[in-house]
Amino acid sequence: MIALIGLVIGVVAGLVLEPSVPVVLQPYLPIAVVAALDALFGAVRALLDGLFDERVFLVSFLSNIIVAALIVFIGDKLGVGSQLSTAVVVVLGIRIFSNVASIRRQLFRA
Amino acid sequence: MILRREPQPRGPADASMTLLNDVIRRPLDPGYVEVAERKAAGLDTGRTWVQFAWVFLVAVLLGTLITTAVVTLRTPKDGVVRARALLEERIDRGRTQVKSLRAANATVSQQIAKLQSDALASTDPNLLTSLSQYEVASGAAAVSGPGLRVTLDDAADVRQNPDQADPLSRVMASDIQEVVNGLWAAGAEAISVNGERLTSLSAVRGAGLAILVDLSPLLPPYSVEAIGDPDALRARFSRTSASTRLELLGEHYGIVSSVSAVGNLQLTGGGSVTLRYAAVHVQEDASKTAPTPTPTLEASPTPAQEGNTP
Repeated sequence: MIALIGLVIGVVAGLVLEPSVPVVLQPYLPIAVVAALDALFGAVRALLDGLFDERVFLVSFLSNIIVAALIVFIGDKLGVGSQLSTAVVVVLGIRIFSNVASIRRQLFRA
Repeated sequence: MILRREPQPRGPADASMTLLNDVIRRPLDPGYVEVAERKAAGLDTGRTWVQFAWVFLVAVLLGTLITTAVVTLRTPKDGVVRARALLEERIDRGRTQVKSLRAANATVSQQIAKLQSDALASTDPNLLTSLSQYEVASGAAAVSGPGLRVTLDDAADVRQNPDQADPLSRVMASDIQEVVNGLWAAGAEAISVNGERLTSLSAVRGAGLAILVDLSPLLPPYSVEAIGDPDALRARFSRTSASTRLELLGEHYGIVSSVSAVGNLQLTGGGSVTLRYAAVHVQEDASKTAPTPTPTLEASPTPAQEGNTP
């Protein structure tokens, strides 16, 4: 519950303050959003399974974003940044899809 | 021999695909299961206030981060669109300005031509006749008559996706040059490319991918119009190297071209003419062999003295 309240406050703060992102970090934003979506769908699925835990959710959320950004950063340094960000998007995309499929099975029994 | 396929258990398709199997079959973060097991075993001893504070702090941070990311990803697009709209508006304004200036230019040069011919007609009718002949030859005056139209267009794949197509399958300035030279060689009296009349000072040039005639850019399809006897022109043009080149271009690069006779072509004049050379008019009693037009015409074969766009 407290994580949800925190998230809502964070979202409102982000909308109201509109902090500017340094140009250096801008390539990682799409990856961060995809990683966040993955964590979000994982959380919904865990909630439906009755396994949800705030701490696990936040840690997976944070580590998803950091690891994804790190992979893309290393890729950029190695000169394969776009390929590696494709890889990240593919893996997270597959996870999102199967999480959503399992959510759908739980909700609609189909 | 009958091959029977054993019913296989739904397992990993291939041992070398553990990563994919793992990703697809167990997408739920194992952390959730672990914590649930620990809770069930009674090992999880609740939370302290410090832990709650941490969770809250991290949640606020993540919420801000994601919102910022989303907002930032959305805004620059608007900026780009706005910049583009601004540029488009400027281009449009520039175009209309160019159009109105051109129209004004044309009317003014028409007036000038009329005044000049009026003045000349009263003082020196012979000069006026030779002048109008030179104007036709040099491309300053508008002409009309039967002739030949040669059209060229980029290959089909260039038209479909211009960014990825082979640049060699575009019509290049040298192709247009070749066609124009071929038409001159075939006896054309006047030529225009996409409505741009070729004067004796005109140049067909390539700048990158753009083709320029007298510094105004042309867009495909290109149509080269030449005035002259259509049958003779066509027969002689087919013997020039330009004709061979067109066939070659069509065969190897897919460039589309056609040659057709047209009953009545209207070619505009070459626009305003600049005065480059002038000499004092020789007194009439001294001019026995009518030397008046000679100096100006020697200086440059273009309509150096008069502009005329009737």
